[in-house]
Amino acid sequence: MKALCWMGSGKVEVHSVSDPAILNPHDAIIRVTRTAICGSDLHLFDGFIPTMEEGDILGHEFMGIVEEVGKEVNNLQRGDRVVVPFTIACGNCGFCQKKLWSACDNTNPNAHLMEAAYGYSGSGLFGYSHMMGGYAGGQAQYVRVPFANVGPLKIESDLPDEKVLFLSDIFPTGYMAAENAQIRENDTVAVWGCGPVGQFAIASAFMLGAARVIAIDRFPERLEMARSIGAITVDYSEEDVSVLTALKDLTGGSGPDSCIDAVGLEAHSAQLQGLYDKVKTALMLETDRPSVLRQAIQAVRKGGTVSVPGVYGGLLDKVPFGAAFGKGITMKMGQTNMHNYMKPLLRRIEQGQIDPSYIISHRISLEQAPEMYKVWRDKKENVTKIVIDPWAA
Amino acid sequence: MSEALREKPNAEQLPESASAGVILNGRYLPPPEDKDGKIWIRTSVLIQTEAEQLYEMWRDVESAPLWQEQIARVTRTGEKTSHWVMRSRDKENDKTIEWNSEILADEPGCRIAWRSVGGDSDNAGEVVFEPSPGRKATLVTVLQEFRMGKLANAWETVVGRNPKQAVIENLRHFKALAETGEIPRTEGQPHGPRGTIAGIKESVYGEKIATPPGLERKAS
Repeated sequence: MKALCWMGSGKVEVHSVSDPAILNPHDAIIRVTRTAICGSDLHLFDGFIPTMEEGDILGHEFMGIVEEVGKEVNNLQRGDRVVVPFTIACGNCGFCQKKLWSACDNTNPNAHLMEAAYGYSGSGLFGYSHMMGGYAGGQAQYVRVPFANVGPLKIESDLPDEKVLFLSDIFPTGYMAAENAQIRENDTVAVWGCGPVGQFAIASAFMLGAARVIAIDRFPERLEMARSIGAITVDYSEEDVSVLTALKDLTGGSGPDSCIDAVGLEAHSAQLQGLYDKVKTALMLETDRPSVLRQAIQAVRKGGTVSVPGVYGGLLDKVPFGAAFGKGITMKMGQTNMHNYMKPLLRRIEQGQIDPSYIISHRISLEQAPEMYKVWRDKKENVTKIVIDPWAA
Repeated sequence: MSEALREKPNAEQLPESASAGVILNGRYLPPPEDKDGKIWIRTSVLIQTEAEQLYEMWRDVESAPLWQEQIARVTRTGEKTSHWVMRSRDKENDKTIEWNSEILADEPGCRIAWRSVGGDSDNAGEVVFEPSPGRKATLVTVLQEFRMGKLANAWETVVGRNPKQAVIENLRHFKALAETGEIPRTEGQPHGPRGTIAGIKESVYGEKIATPPGLERKAS
């Protein structure tokens, strides 16, 4: 089959590789019909996530048709159409029983690597480094899905792939970000980053009762998209715009009730601290560039909540913890507990409450993917979301 | 005991002692230190399965190759004795070692202790199954001792699987098997062309060691 492989920092290539096979009784093989490039794939592309190996197949947002199932998979059969969550969960361990699926104990074959870095290992993820399990990803024609009895969501309606594909990661991730933000009726919520996760966080904040959502970014097409679903936008790259002042101005001086950092570890900042973080990460004195997180902690109202769906990988510097303590804020974060959200969000799509395909800007073949990774990284061609048909010529 | 705190609805009876020397007289005890030609590893997991079933799984020595790394074969030679064959194999090495093992303590549903008797490995160990605080799950603790110098241990780390890490990984496999009926694996999945240092990386990630096959039955 054809698959997109990571071949070193800044380099991805399409290679012919062997087809995946059933390796465990709860496995399924899926013929991928649509897959997408995630913002977090850029952290791999840019070499920010350790334990990648040349030849690793990327991709954790995908859906397709069940081709084959292992003998312990009773809920799926050949021909079923499914969306697959990017976190792999066993369904039986203490964490899965608590519905903390992304903390599953039993799905990371390389748990010792994550234990060394984080104390304990989370669940395995598709196509996201050996520390996160070393599983081959879904930017390919076929993919092996472990614990297929637990994760994949069957799509029984005739909704097109594009409307349900984002149930594999970014829609639930945006939704959990809004849930983690502890939004109450008529709250004001600020969202940093109007990429796909930010878009769905904005949409979900409204669904959960927010009266006003303030969206922060610098790309006109993304800000436009945020306005299209009802957010007030702040372009931080404009001269004279200070995000903190803007947020005070837009909240009567009291600050947003909740702040959502949908940017994560590769934040850009127009200020001096942006340069500071670039230098420090280049010198390996810090691994992440947390300028959005700093701002969110600074901006949130007293007793407010900071929710972090943006990915962080390692060590952060100059995080204003005094401000966090002084205002008595709550912080919630983490990989998405996918399995809690896929069904309810599918229902919302089926009922026509939201059509997640509005974020798609590019539809490409696998062969075009290496070029599009660069476009995606550099935010050229007004790119907002890239969807791949791995069978397209 | 002091009467200062009377309201503690879920507090456990203070344990005098617990598994594999973790608690003694109510105090936490750190694991034994590596010295005098012995190395020690103590590790534990929480498993959502009854202690009795876990004990049975562990006590069935002939099924150990299904969840213990690099164990090629175990043969029962008596009520409490068995013969173990370990084969470490990769592109560069193919080494087989054998030893006999004897069970010293056997408390059904609670505890098994063993030691090697002659052969190529000098080891002893204990596994304890006990209800977790609140009795929601089973706390499994393994304490194992290897008679081997620190230098030999360091060498094993370089060329293959450090024996301490092997005990940790085996307990992890045991848990996955008991809870899910399989052991997570990636060996045999597709990948693109590997780079020049792939071998070193595989070794660091622990991916050179074959994942044991696992069982197709579930303990629960």
